[in-house]
Amino acid sequence: MKIILRSIIAIYRKELQGYFSSSLAYVIAGVFWFLSSLFFFFILDNIVREVAQLDLQGQFGVSPPPVDVPSVVLQNFMAVMGSLSLVILPILSMGLYAEERKRGTLELLATSPITNWAVALGKLLAVLTFFVTLIMPLAVIEGLALSRGQPPIPLVTLLSLLMVSHLGLVFMAAAILALGLFISSLTDSSILAAIVTFALILLLWIVDLLGDTLGGGLGEMLNHLSLLKHYTTLTQGVLDLSSFVLFLSYVVLGLFLTAQSIDLFRFQRS
Amino acid sequence: MIEVEHLSKVYGSTTAIEDVTFQVEPGEILGLLGPNGAGKTTTMRILAGYLPATQGTARVNGFEVHENPMAVRQRIGYLPETPPLYLDMTVEGYLHFVARLKGVSAGDREQRVQTVLQECNLLEKRTSLIHKLSKGFRQRVGIAQAIVHDPPAIILDEPTVGLDPRQIIDVRHLIKKLAGNKTVILSTHILPEVSMTCNRVAIINQGHVVGTGSLTDLMTQLAGVSSYELLLQGDQSRIAQQLLNLSGIQSLHWHDLEDASNPRLSLRVVCDPGTELGPKIAATLVHEGAYIYEIRPTVTNLEDVFLQLTTEEQTSIEGDVISDLEGSSSAAEGADQEENSDGKEPL
Repeated sequence: MKIILRSIIAIYRKELQGYFSSSLAYVIAGVFWFLSSLFFFFILDNIVREVAQLDLQGQFGVSPPPVDVPSVVLQNFMAVMGSLSLVILPILSMGLYAEERKRGTLELLATSPITNWAVALGKLLAVLTFFVTLIMPLAVIEGLALSRGQPPIPLVTLLSLLMVSHLGLVFMAAAILALGLFISSLTDSSILAAIVTFALILLLWIVDLLGDTLGGGLGEMLNHLSLLKHYTTLTQGVLDLSSFVLFLSYVVLGLFLTAQSIDLFRFQRS
Repeated sequence: MIEVEHLSKVYGSTTAIEDVTFQVEPGEILGLLGPNGAGKTTTMRILAGYLPATQGTARVNGFEVHENPMAVRQRIGYLPETPPLYLDMTVEGYLHFVARLKGVSAGDREQRVQTVLQECNLLEKRTSLIHKLSKGFRQRVGIAQAIVHDPPAIILDEPTVGLDPRQIIDVRHLIKKLAGNKTVILSTHILPEVSMTCNRVAIINQGHVVGTGSLTDLMTQLAGVSSYELLLQGDQSRIAQQLLNLSGIQSLHWHDLEDASNPRLSLRVVCDPGTELGPKIAATLVHEGAYIYEIRPTVTNLEDVFLQLTTEEQTSIEGDVISDLEGSSSAAEGADQEENSDGKEPL
């Protein structure tokens, strides 16, 4: 057990160190932070205008509907974050195994006293840590901005709202990254892995649309598989355990398939 | 130490190795010698636990690679054909990572890494990024990662391929240094490498082990065989017939001359062990009316051993060439003869 843990940590540390020495990681972080802050600004600006307009209507005697500004802002912003992640996560996961395969280092991992799934888990934890690092500063910005609202919302409410929605984002990211990990383990071309991963998660993102169209038992099943639906539930601050379970199932599936594909690949390789 | 028994590996419809058996004693360097595609890499990958064998067993230190893969992996250092290096890491960082991966305990790690840095002459490059290193240094880092966890057995797949002569000498010295307290298997298709570094050889061809033993053993077994190199001009098919009629001649190997318009013929005549057929051959040729430009007895060296052990591939190529140049009869005869000689292999 201790040995397994040690090898997972070895992989984890090596991968994290890799991000610091890779220009790709910095570029992704830069682009992600730039775009998301830009969107945050637009969303805030938008809601300020909207509220001002409602105020104006109020002055003319029409009583405006109440607007829960913090949760509207948060929901809109989390939706943007979700969409951005959709693009960024495949880029993060594309090289995880494809590069090892291309460089021949997979042969080192596969001949070390360490199981396939430990390698996969170490890699997943590392890339997830990198993603959490990406979204942490944004969570702080959101918290700061929303805590300035009038009337002020209680700190506990705000924190739990932020917590649940960001946990949702992290879990969804873990699900996507695990699937990306698997796809990366199938090929030695990073670009190909990124494209296929993107296509797959896009499908899982909107699979509930397909479910709605089909209807019936199958439709309902597809509905449950949708990433977007469960993600949206969580960003609304609803602590829905079934959503976490779904995301975790994707993670387990991804890790399992990765470990299997590494084995299978060795069997067939000439 | 390392025991390989009746090992076979089948990929789909192609058989990579079949019934490979050999042993390596502790502290020995075994050279796995064979042409490209002979199955050297497959054998080594099975030993390292990278590939499962279709049949047979392979034991390292008493642990079977399929039954107890983790135990074997801990006891083996493996350098694949392309060193498995992370180019964006420093030499020291990389070796620390591998040490951790191989389960070297935290207390011993620093000391182990320093030791292998020294052993592999990498101290001056310890903080360099691997992608800035030359090929020779990368190979040394590759060997360093194979020994960082101090395994009793080391497997090196073509450790000197693609290096310049100076680097090759360095790497060979390094390997020789390792021997004694470690058991080493190295594969190569370069003959001199075996004679310089290995105690024993296993010669492998088309997936079969065709000979094992110490170099001197293999040499003496073959020492009895005598052969002659000839350069002459004349009717090839008739010369072949006349020569093969002589008693004591095993086979003829026709060489392809670089200049196709050159009417001269070049061939090697392999005779029965202990015979002195030189004068007879010359007399036969003169009688036949052929011009002799050169007749020279050849010494059995390791290249000859190698040629004899793995001539099948060469036969077909030479046969093809000759049938293109000349009438097919002599070529067919030559090929037949060669196959016969294969059957009569002394090993």
